[in-house]
Amino acid sequence: MDYVPHDLETIRIMLEKIGVENLDDLYVDIPNNLKIKQLNLPEGLSESDLLKNLTELSEKNHIYNTSFLGAGSYYHYIPSLVDSIISQSQFFTAYTPYQAEISQGMLQSIYEYQSAISRLTEMDITNASMYDCASALAEAATMAFFVTKKKKILLIEGIHPEYIETVQTYCWGRSIETETIPLDELDNKLTDEIAGVLIQSPNFFGDIEDISQVAKKIRSKTKKCLLIQAMSDPTCLGKLNPPGKNDVDIFVAEGVGMHPSFGGPNLGILSVKKKYMRKMPGRLIGLTKELHGEKEGYVLTLQAREQHIRREKALSNICSNQALIMIASLVYLVSLGKTGLKNVAMQNFQKANHVKQALSQISGYKVLNTKPTYNEFIVKCPNINKLIKKCKDDNILPPLKLSHYFPDRKDEILICVTEMNSKEDINKFLQIAKEAAQ
Amino acid sequence: MTRKQLIFEKGYNALINNFTPEMDIKSIDFDTILPKSLQRNEEINLPDVPEFEIVRHYVNLAHKNYGVDSGIYPLGSCTMKYNPRINEVTARLSGFLKIHPLQEENDGAIELIYNLGQQLCEICGMDAFTLNPAAGAQGELTGILIIKKYFEIKGIKKDKIIVPDSAHGTNPATSAMAGFSIIEIKSDENGELPLDQLEFAMKGGDVAGLMLTNPNTVGVFDRNIDKITEIVHKYGGLCYYDGANLNPIMGIAKPGEMGFDIIHLNLHKTFSTPHGGGGPGAGPVGVKKDLINYLPCPQVIKNERGLACVENEGESIGRIRSFWGNFGVLVKAYTYILALGKNGIKNAAQNSVLNANYIRTQIKHKFTIPYDRINMHEFLVDANLPNGVNSEDVAKALLDRGIHAPTIYFPLIIHEAMLIEPTETENKRELDKFIEAMLEIYEEAEKNPEYLKKGPYNTEIGRLDATLAARKPCLRD
Ligand SMILES: Cc1ncc(COP(=O)(O)O)c(C=O)c1O
Repeated sequence: MDYVPHDLETIRIMLEKIGVENLDDLYVDIPNNLKIKQLNLPEGLSESDLLKNLTELSEKNHIYNTSFLGAGSYYHYIPSLVDSIISQSQFFTAYTPYQAEISQGMLQSIYEYQSAISRLTEMDITNASMYDCASALAEAATMAFFVTKKKKILLIEGIHPEYIETVQTYCWGRSIETETIPLDELDNKLTDEIAGVLIQSPNFFGDIEDISQVAKKIRSKTKKCLLIQAMSDPTCLGKLNPPGKNDVDIFVAEGVGMHPSFGGPNLGILSVKKKYMRKMPGRLIGLTKELHGEKEGYVLTLQAREQHIRREKALSNICSNQALIMIASLVYLVSLGKTGLKNVAMQNFQKANHVKQALSQISGYKVLNTKPTYNEFIVKCPNINKLIKKCKDDNILPPLKLSHYFPDRKDEILICVTEMNSKEDINKFLQIAKEAAQ
Repeated sequence: MTRKQLIFEKGYNALINNFTPEMDIKSIDFDTILPKSLQRNEEINLPDVPEFEIVRHYVNLAHKNYGVDSGIYPLGSCTMKYNPRINEVTARLSGFLKIHPLQEENDGAIELIYNLGQQLCEICGMDAFTLNPAAGAQGELTGILIIKKYFEIKGIKKDKIIVPDSAHGTNPATSAMAGFSIIEIKSDENGELPLDQLEFAMKGGDVAGLMLTNPNTVGVFDRNIDKITEIVHKYGGLCYYDGANLNPIMGIAKPGEMGFDIIHLNLHKTFSTPHGGGGPGAGPVGVKKDLINYLPCPQVIKNERGLACVENEGESIGRIRSFWGNFGVLVKAYTYILALGKNGIKNAAQNSVLNANYIRTQIKHKFTIPYDRINMHEFLVDANLPNGVNSEDVAKALLDRGIHAPTIYFPLIIHEAMLIEPTETENKRELDKFIEAMLEIYEEAEKNPEYLKKGPYNTEIGRLDATLAARKPCLRD
């Protein structure tokens, strides 16, 4: 099945009009020694066989009844209308809205997304999305370099290990130095040579940092250094003080409204203070007016920052972003609305903190967080392998073994509890934890 | 009102939606969970809108958007082919959609990643692929960082990358992100890379590699391709293939056999995943054997015990994003390749070339075709029409006829560039409609140019003031 509509007769007519005899004649420019005989791939499949093949493959992945795993990818309830809207074919079969007059639907949606995220975060300006939080953080670090012309970035321990590695890769590309330090060393390390401080809150281990204090420290000790905050699960903003209230210069986060899908696609939120507008990477949509009329409409704007005009002087090479997921995030946010978002955040806080308290009362378990936490926290376990195995036996996706990222932390787990974990799930998990301690 | 209502203006005073599970445990005093100083103390400035109102709002917006499903979408360099619906179904199978990237019971996902990588190796003539990059541009960054790593590990200092002046903006931008400076080479009168200039640049000794799109961005296949890669290799450089234009040659020739060492693909173009209104895409990167160790992590490899996931083994460029890339997009591309099979892939390529040449030959008596010979899947027009009617005017006149415009003002080497790529999934009726529209617009340019300069007229909204948008940026509500 190749989705090519022509019959042989049509092909013949077209070839005649072109003035060649057969399809192979269209490839005169390719040297003969480079032409291949045939691909070593199977014959094409019918749609029904495709579905069977892919269904069988998908069933080799296990779907659990419930999950206590987060660590950068979260199970939240996603209203049905989200998928219905991103399945509108004029959204998902369009390209980037270059021709504004026939793309107002996408353009207005992006403008609404930029607005909705800016309202949620209380940051001034949000772009039309980055690939994911990790690469958005890396681009934010680069942005700090472009703004300050300084070539050193400080990363505060507690940033998701995969984000740290991504930042290191990008920074190595531009020869920007990176150093990872504990938060309490920030005072000593802050100098005028630092382009930006990257901090995650809630961090990988679940801790909620007092970002306003970090901002104060940076402002008091440096003139130019940027404060960049990352966040893995922005549903917490329903109850948590937003970055815009904490003097954050650049805020990045993973999107909302998507299923995990083995880690992607999701999107990277990137929001900045207004003064950095012309230094931010990625697409931006702006409101404007007709040239020959009075109607208002939307266009891609401030493109002078971008690669197709600025080429090697561009801030970034990003071109395609995660547009359709941006619509999913937007629809998720407006579906829940201010009331629903508060509700979801509250439930995540309550349920995770309930489990945290309950576990700390089971002998053998020790909660390691000393700061407040949202829907994740870390626990030292008496018998980690038994706990993981028992979870799986009961069809529960177990928490993350911290040793996955930190090989020496052998008996610690990172637990995630969201609104998707019912009281029964929670009680069962606590029961398993109790049994695993014996 | 001159502006369409935003969703924020459709709020109600009471919440009607009920999506979130019932709170079924006893609450703890919130102030003991989170100190007041860290709490959000103002309401989120988002409305509560009932479900039906939201659905209507976005369905109406979708209807104001042109997609491949609306008609021909001949956007050069973007390969806007039909997006099979089965791809949407397979990516949403719960065994793919609902699995966590860190869960251990992931055999199906790992197998899919491995199999797709193998298929792409076969199609491109490479030895290994990473599927992690999220789009073409991130694939480029991955590839150019691999070049950086290769020379770093060998202890050889080379800090320049050659790009032709016809290259996409991402190519020079990417090179800069990896710390390289650019040598730009002017394309010759055939749109091809002049060998003498290439050799001259390579002789400098500081060139790490060449980035090339082939067929190139003017739509022709560079006939000297094997000599080009030979010259670059002779001076110790690596050859990078921008795979945005793979569509016309898949199943016909392999970039790996042309001498390319690294390649990125755009699955949202060639493999129809679709484009999603600007993303998500996927930009897998393929390399030859000698470069496998530098691929980003994590990777899936095959060893005696079967498939295994490997992390950074020392020489890798590191991680370029979290987890496994845009996995959902990979599922769609895999489905598409299985659907086409070996013959379908070749057939798709051939018909994309057929369609593009058909349009070219039917309009060339009127339009200036700067590189007028058998082209590949796309061709370039210099839309410098009579009476000062330009590329943008032609684009808007096409919109007025219910047709999406081709890519305009890219590549930069032709002033009134219009890059036309119909793809293989358009039928002759649609191609003829496009041809007819182009000829009609030409005639109109002769007779009534002023009319064209102010279009479009039949669209949702008239031509918009891009200068105003940039001068007084209004980026949110
Ligand atoms: C030749 C070429 N290279 C690279 C890219 C960048 O690809 P992406 O938008 O997937 O990042 C494009 C996209 O239009 C392209 O046409």
